[in-house]
Amino acid sequence: MQFGLMTRGQYELGDDMQQRFAELAEQVRLADRLGFASLTKGSHYSAWPYQDFQQLPYLARMMAEAPNLRLNAGIILLPLHKPLDLAEQLATMDVMSGGRVIVGAGLGYREVEFAGFGTVQAERIRRFEENLEAMKRLWTEETVTMEGSHFALREASCPTKPVQKPHPPIWVGANADAAIRRAARIGTCWYINPHNRISTILEQLDVYRRALDELRKPMPEELPIRREVFVADSREDAVRLCGPHLAGKYAVYASWGQDKAMPAGDSDLTAAFDDLARDRFLVGSADEVAEQMIALARATGVNHVVMSVQWSGMPQSLALETLQRLAEDVFPRVRQGL
Amino acid sequence: MQFVLAIRGQFPPGDDMSARFEELMEQVRLAKRLGFTGIAKSCHYSSSPWQEIQQIPFLARAAAEAPGLTFITSIVLLPLHKPLEIAEQTAALDLFTGGRFILGVGIGYRDVEFKAFGTSREERVPRLVENIHAIRRLWTEDEVTMKGSHFELDGAVCSLKPRRPPPIWIGANADPAIRRAAHIADSWMINPHNRIDTILRQIEVYKRGLDEAGKPWPETLPLAREMFVARTRAEAIRLARPYLEAKYKAYHAWGQDKAMPEGDNDLGQEFDELARDRFLFGSADEVAEQIVGMMKATGANQLSLPIQWPGMPQQLVLEQMHVMAEEVVPFVEQGL
Repeated sequence: MQFGLMTRGQYELGDDMQQRFAELAEQVRLADRLGFASLTKGSHYSAWPYQDFQQLPYLARMMAEAPNLRLNAGIILLPLHKPLDLAEQLATMDVMSGGRVIVGAGLGYREVEFAGFGTVQAERIRRFEENLEAMKRLWTEETVTMEGSHFALREASCPTKPVQKPHPPIWVGANADAAIRRAARIGTCWYINPHNRISTILEQLDVYRRALDELRKPMPEELPIRREVFVADSREDAVRLCGPHLAGKYAVYASWGQDKAMPAGDSDLTAAFDDLARDRFLVGSADEVAEQMIALARATGVNHVVMSVQWSGMPQSLALETLQRLAEDVFPRVRQGL
Repeated sequence: MQFVLAIRGQFPPGDDMSARFEELMEQVRLAKRLGFTGIAKSCHYSSSPWQEIQQIPFLARAAAEAPGLTFITSIVLLPLHKPLEIAEQTAALDLFTGGRFILGVGIGYRDVEFKAFGTSREERVPRLVENIHAIRRLWTEDEVTMKGSHFELDGAVCSLKPRRPPPIWIGANADPAIRRAAHIADSWMINPHNRIDTILRQIEVYKRGLDEAGKPWPETLPLAREMFVARTRAEAIRLARPYLEAKYKAYHAWGQDKAMPEGDNDLGQEFDELARDRFLFGSADEVAEQIVGMMKATGANQLSLPIQWPGMPQQLVLEQMHVMAEEVVPFVEQGL
């Protein structure tokens, strides 16, 4: 079982981002020291009402703080970008990190982002698929000629190849069933999302397995999941300490329209905290969180848990303490229990 | 005087790029120790015959090795990109460098790049102009609504605001581009390709452009030159030639010279001819004298040194960095 740290890097307007960055660097150094396996950074543009750090420069900078962590660009909003740009930047990052890059890929769902990049929601699936195809070809072929809907590669090349062969793992983020089938088809693995309930994920895992079977592909060696995680002395304490910050984040998701990308019956991110948290977040005492993780791993087969432990407004000390508790009290129990 | 280590990060095919990257980090650390004031990184895509380290990830990583230095993109091929992307990425670079970031941009000239980014050479000037406009607005306004030819900002917000809007410099070879730099940018990055006599003519183009726009002389005017120092001019040429010649052959094959002014637009000529009045070779004093001459004649106050050409071994690069910082720059400072 691998344990990863996700730093959203989203902070309230008016926060001193230089200070926040120094705090994130401290979290990352601690995670590296404590034996975490990976560092994840998401990506949004025009992240209002938050401030945010851009993903690829952020991960490139954090390499200097984390000599051991795998670096997960999780997820890149793939339809916004050009494949040559991403293939070359990610290959450079794989070289700079000695082969530690993970390429998270997702569709995106916000109009302000599509428009800002000169595209529309209706084009996103086509762009997603052709971008990924072009990137894989650029990483593995000497020169590539390929006509896309929004780019043309004419004997183009990505001369710096990634260190990982044939290319870094591609984790496809997906909330909806169709997207999960796509993940089976074109991803190294499905990157199980943080938002759906575990009961929903179990149903979706059936969708994923059936799709893999149809493609005669084995279950991937690595099956990652993203979750919101918080540890305190007791569940009450945990909910009291993280609840307001975590609930705030989910209120923003709802206002951004994230829930429109989720399956019917599990698409309400505005529910009251207890309701929202149940079967969705891993929150409680160390024992409880360990049990929840063991149950999750047994039920789903996931073997890499990527954890967000801080939400906008939550103080640094709490984030550091949770990392410490996770590494000392939770991870050993999970490993023992599996 | 400011002097900047300009890193191309281009290496011959087959080179071990992980080892080359570690060498670049060593160059960055040495630059800081030697008193270089900045690090610049250029950018090309599909850079065959070279392998290349990409610009923005490189600068973000290098910022950790040399706190306190200025970091410069030399240049971002701006018509290829969307302004929201560049505004947000460079705001992160501005933060990682403690507010010491400069956005150098240019229009580009290679069709393989335009096509891969879904655009064409014909669109490059309008895209450059509207992208600069949008980036400045995103950096400084709370919320931007603007319809561009290839993007639409609909109440868009730059997720991170730079400490202060970074200066935007334009790298330019051709007269109209230099005039454009005077009109819409904070400085002109004087290119390393044009002959010295061409540059001296073009500085007048730049001055006229500033006058037309009613703008003052820029705070920083950067000048880039290819140069190599040895005991004698002949030895400098002998040592530099294999790498420099191959680099300019690649420029010629890419069509860089098509972006240069008439009468000085052939980078495919024989090396001796190419080098004359363009590259600076000689002993430390000889090279320094040439630099002083150029800086006095142009008014440039930042010197950008692209020391490593593809294939040039690390040891030679480190030696040249020492010679530049310890012998050439002090001499230049004295002469200015």
